[in-house]
Amino acid sequence: MQKQIQQQIERIMAKGATYVDARWYPLDETSSLTMWNGNLKSAHTNRESGIGVRVLYQGAWGFCASSETSDLAVVFEKALENARAAAERVTFPVRLAEKDSIQASFESPCRVDPFGVPLTERVAFLSRLDELMAQAGVEQRMASMDLMRKQIIFLDSEGSQIEKRITEVFGGLRVSGRDAQGGMQVRTFRLNRRGETRGWESFDPDFFAQQAERIVRELNELRTAENCPKEDRSVILLPGIMFLQTHETIGHALELDRILGYELAFAGGSFVTLDDFGKLRYGSEKLTARADGTLINSPGSFGYDDDGVPTQNTVLIDRGILVGAITGRQMVEEANARAHRTIFNGSGGANRATAFYRVPIERMTNINIDPGQDGTLEDIVQATERGIILDGDRSWSIGSNREQFHFATEIGWMVEDGRVTGVVKNATYKGATVPFWNSLSAVGDASTWSVQFVDNCGKGQPNQIMQLGHGVPVCRFDNVRIGE
Amino acid sequence: MKDNILHLLQTLRAYAVEKGYLVSVIYHEEDSSLMRFANSAVSLNTNEHIIRLGVEAYDGRRRAEYSMITGLDDLDEMKRGIDLAVEMAHHAQPLGYDMTIPVFKQDFADESAFDPALAAMSSEERLAFFNQAVAGLEEEELLLSGIFSSGVNIWAQINTLSEHTQYFQTTDAQISVVLAHRQLKWEVTAEQSAQQKADLNPEALRRELAFLVRCYKEQPAMQLPLGTYDIVLGQAAVADLLSTMNWIGFSGGAYKRGFSFLSEEQVGQKVFSEQFTLVDDPNRRETFPFRFDFMGMERQPFPLVQKGVFQGFMWMQDDADEFGMKPTGHTVPARSLVMAGGDVPVATVEELARMPRERDVLYIPFLHYMNIVNPSQGVVTASSRFGALLLKRDGSIAVPYNVRLTQSLLDLFGERVAWVSSVTAPYNTSSSYGERNPTAVIVPMFMQVNGLEISHSNSSY
Ligand SMILES: [Zn+2]
Repeated sequence: MQKQIQQQIERIMAKGATYVDARWYPLDETSSLTMWNGNLKSAHTNRESGIGVRVLYQGAWGFCASSETSDLAVVFEKALENARAAAERVTFPVRLAEKDSIQASFESPCRVDPFGVPLTERVAFLSRLDELMAQAGVEQRMASMDLMRKQIIFLDSEGSQIEKRITEVFGGLRVSGRDAQGGMQVRTFRLNRRGETRGWESFDPDFFAQQAERIVRELNELRTAENCPKEDRSVILLPGIMFLQTHETIGHALELDRILGYELAFAGGSFVTLDDFGKLRYGSEKLTARADGTLINSPGSFGYDDDGVPTQNTVLIDRGILVGAITGRQMVEEANARAHRTIFNGSGGANRATAFYRVPIERMTNINIDPGQDGTLEDIVQATERGIILDGDRSWSIGSNREQFHFATEIGWMVEDGRVTGVVKNATYKGATVPFWNSLSAVGDASTWSVQFVDNCGKGQPNQIMQLGHGVPVCRFDNVRIGE
Repeated sequence: MKDNILHLLQTLRAYAVEKGYLVSVIYHEEDSSLMRFANSAVSLNTNEHIIRLGVEAYDGRRRAEYSMITGLDDLDEMKRGIDLAVEMAHHAQPLGYDMTIPVFKQDFADESAFDPALAAMSSEERLAFFNQAVAGLEEEELLLSGIFSSGVNIWAQINTLSEHTQYFQTTDAQISVVLAHRQLKWEVTAEQSAQQKADLNPEALRRELAFLVRCYKEQPAMQLPLGTYDIVLGQAAVADLLSTMNWIGFSGGAYKRGFSFLSEEQVGQKVFSEQFTLVDDPNRRETFPFRFDFMGMERQPFPLVQKGVFQGFMWMQDDADEFGMKPTGHTVPARSLVMAGGDVPVATVEELARMPRERDVLYIPFLHYMNIVNPSQGVVTASSRFGALLLKRDGSIAVPYNVRLTQSLLDLFGERVAWVSSVTAPYNTSSSYGERNPTAVIVPMFMQVNGLEISHSNSSY
């Protein structure tokens, strides 16, 4: 098959294309289980295979995908035809940053293949947790497990050939119950990075049982809690909400295609301009953020992106100054040309597609915040006069240029004079992105840092769902409006 | 095409019957085209022809599903898929309730929302449409973005309990045209939903864009002071709010699970404005409707709100089975929401701007990134985007920077509703997550709601 693909690439190049690549997915499988109040509501396996072809012709992209791989010529021809049509309206001819020709393979770290575990065993795992969560105060309980595996073979007209085998595991627990006013309160646990591999070994029954006990306990605290007040306070974000803050107001804001206006039809743009690189104060001096695709064991580490570029560890914000972005081969060339200076030295290796039938676009790898010098969570609480600790993402809404945001969380703990005084429900906070990051006043040490997995980041048209990670510490921000 | 698909389903059914299986088979085929524009160029031109087969297998109270992307002639793989679904069901855990398995009592085929002319549109025609929609409006700093998404969508179903089949074939187009200022970062949009090629009207898009561009170029821009405003919501904003309401308001399952802001006690009560009437009407072709649901139940217009009075919840089969309720024909991939027009005959934003007014009015055409802050209270939050205007009392117009609204749906559609436009049109709410599934809501062009608070106001575009 690789040989046939190679021949097609050469054939299309001979017809005048300046670049061609193909991603062949021999297997792309997901297997999901959802148990809701003891009912196995969904046991669903999905399998796909096919090929996606990108052709660059006279500075314009054409793409075509098919699950039918018996006649490859048709797919390649259609991609060329689409590029020819697109070439009728070109304003900035696409150029691709230099890269090496690579022959390599990548396999995500996995000790026990989760797809090898019998369905009955997987169901029994969830069933036990479901029973554990069936306690007083819990009206709805949900336990879920999502497994993915992909085999991707990438070939391009520059001589690269890369094979990737990726296994992902996602799991979660959720309980909900009514408070005294009849409002529904929710507490959630999501499986994140544990150790250096992710396979069936991630589903540690004892660990999940502890988390089930904890979220049930916290739900019952929420059910009798006061409402979050509407006022200004310091917010102390635990990783269960800090990851989302980072995702929405650093990650998406620094996707270079958004910055260059390629997502304006739908997802939106970014308040960041090309002039801002090297200058903009994007956070206090305590903030260093990076796009680290080399982090061990995360969905945001995938070896090579869908341009065939190795993943990298790129600093985005260096002690509060904007220095980098999330980039692929096309966008760095365009950005440097538009800025009339070299902002980006080659692709950052972050161009990815969700499936064989989607085109690669700039996606987050692991968008991380470096641990800081402000000690443990306890240290940060002790050093806080009037604050609130927040955890869990209940809703998120962000301005179209990522300039402002509103988040609802699952739980808040009020802090007065360095001590936790009690739980509040319906806790929300909002802010404007740059002033918010500039108000960062404490960054927790490595003991507070953990890698959160994201399985559902949406972007692009047609929409693409992507898996990635966020390594984040506990952080405190001052003078934040809560309770609105 | 149809005959081939139905023949395939009969073949698969015969295989399953012979093996003694109890299964439903759902066939989904999309032939999608997307031309995407950015920075005044075609940034992507793509086609996907994808066939998906879904098999749901039943074994007593056990149930499992296997789906695949496949080729129409790959019969062996499809049969393997059926075997796998059956095996999975065998190892699943029994439900705590009896489930209803679909039985089709008759053959049903609906191709009335299929238009061969729309299906056959070429890349060149899509590009020509866009060129017409923005003729004379692009400038060096004013750049075109947008999509022309169109396609053919087919659903077909059979199961082992009867030989009858259901077949739905539609064409749809979703068009949005954006003009955005590269330096200043303001952006305006005009959108269109089409079921047939004759629905396409690039000139209407051009007129709307031309008016908005003129306002944004010529009128003063300002940061709005926080406070309460009389707000006119445009078609896109109303459609988005109704889609959210569909999810956390009218679903019986969501209500029983505690995630609805409406309750059984409110059925028959006046909960909303007298000017708010909403129905799920599968007879409206523009909504890409399902006239039978996936359980084989014939769908009739289903009133949800009549002059502000809540009429009742929609029950999907599985929720109805679990909670001991009667299904209402809502086991469908998308509903056909139709909001009734009111009595103010205003059809375009230009007409809206010319309307006499006693107070300043904030026009918000589009709500970006709506999310649910508190489902029990129906509280949602979102920001304005794409061409908001401050229509001043003295007849002049200013351009406001974007603002955030955090409000309950009970207020947005409650007593604060001042007026509703008598002119309605379909608004395309299709999401392209996973598979193509055309969806549109029919909504009035405008709805004014008085005394709404804005909770955040940007200091620039
Ligand atoms: Zn995201």
